[in-house]
Amino acid sequence: MTDTLRLLERQAAWQKSRVALTWAEKVRMAEAVRESVSQLSRGRPPAASGVPASKDPPRSLPRQQ
Amino acid sequence: MRAAGVISEYALFGAIAQMRYTEPVATLDADVLVAMPSSEGLDVLRPIYEFCAHRGYRPEGEAVRVGAWPVQFIPAFSPLTQEALEQAATADFEGVSLRVVGADYLAVIALSVGRAKDQARILGLLESATVGREQVARLAARHGLTEAWRRFESRFLND
Repeated sequence: MTDTLRLLERQAAWQKSRVALTWAEKVRMAEAVRESVSQLSRGRPPAASGVPASKDPPRSLPRQQ
Repeated sequence: MRAAGVISEYALFGAIAQMRYTEPVATLDADVLVAMPSSEGLDVLRPIYEFCAHRGYRPEGEAVRVGAWPVQFIPAFSPLTQEALEQAATADFEGVSLRVVGADYLAVIALSVGRAKDQARILGLLESATVGREQVARLAARHGLTEAWRRFESRFLND
């Protein structure tokens, strides 16, 4: 087995392990990448500075205690 | 909104609902399936938009911006989605009780829509083991989707 295959297997296992996160944690992860996905879908690269291009900066959901 | 009589029922669905059962997935918006007290008139969603605007939540395209998320309200548009709404589970989201469409209904609604991302959703739900192939097959059959399910199985699940 090549190193690349091992790497892909580890990545797949890591992705599958994220099923165990809480629903709220998963939604927060989706929220964290939403602006980048939105910019990519509009054909623009995500802002390099990390500052969202939207006029309405995303407001974080309340953190889990 | 339910207490005010603007909607009669709601349940989260789409990718946000899917994430209750699977690993996280990227999505641009939050989808909410709604039943309206009256479906008369051309603009059935108008009472929702007015209710939201009155509380400072602005329309954004076909959605209403709530915090970070554009929220899209989608009236139950078929017997399948009406049933999904009726059968929705109540789930806890950090202390907030929310209604959310079940994994079986999410899979069969995705089957009925049939885009690439819907096919990925079905596979994700099956892989998470929150719904089984037999369960999807039975629900699909009840809603006239046996052939669509057979094609899906043949393409993605049968060796």
